[in-house]
Amino acid sequence: MALPDTDMRLDLAEEDVLRADLYDLLSLVLARPPSKDLITKISELTGDTSDLGQGINALSRLARQVTPRAVEDEFNTLFIGLTRGELLPYASYYMTGFLNEKPLAILRNAMARHGIERAENVYEPEDNIASLCEMMAGLIRGRFGDPADLSAQKDFFAAHISPWAEHFFTDLEGAKSSVFFAPVGAIGRAFIAIEREAFRMGA
Amino acid sequence: MSDKERSSRRDFLKLAATGAPVAAVAAVSGATGAEAAVEERAGEGLRVTEHTKKYYESARF
Repeated sequence: MALPDTDMRLDLAEEDVLRADLYDLLSLVLARPPSKDLITKISELTGDTSDLGQGINALSRLARQVTPRAVEDEFNTLFIGLTRGELLPYASYYMTGFLNEKPLAILRNAMARHGIERAENVYEPEDNIASLCEMMAGLIRGRFGDPADLSAQKDFFAAHISPWAEHFFTDLEGAKSSVFFAPVGAIGRAFIAIEREAFRMGA
Repeated sequence: MSDKERSSRRDFLKLAATGAPVAAVAAVSGATGAEAAVEERAGEGLRVTEHTKKYYESARF
């Protein structure tokens, strides 16, 4: 839970800080049931009238109404379940129909190139959406070494996120069990579309 | 990338992403706990979670 980002934030362009913050937010809420503190923080966010801003407003509104327990139940129903959750937020699953497939192997190669290792206490395949968002934020901020330049970011995004993340976030937004996570899906969908368009413009 | 492309990308991102500043959350919560060269991870499917631990416990005999 160290905060390596804050010191480096000064060197980043404003828009890159915004991007990394959004990736981190998505990672935080999707990695595990959001804590009471995180929910409180989310309740203080405000957005503008854009799709992204509206998603933030909807999430913030819900954060003021929900209990951590209810969010945890929803998280478990969506992602864990007794045998499996309603959704399988893995690149391999979305790209091939199966878990632990080639997209995971390709990701592991990319992680090695960027000096990213998974934490020892983590057993889940790395190609889950929370980890991928965390990796993008880390590449932007330089958490794994020097900040990745735009073309390296673009390559990572194009290979591991762009092919499936919008589809996943759309599923999350519309999932039967989604309440708190519906606007998370909306935010993710809007943000990934912005990222795709921005990478198309440059890099 | 040319300077022109770079600046149009920056302008686009500023317009598109400024509508929802979420720095407060990221800063306070410190990402998902990944260490320097470490990938963090999430919860669902097959990993051992509180939920699956309970299930395994209940299934043990």
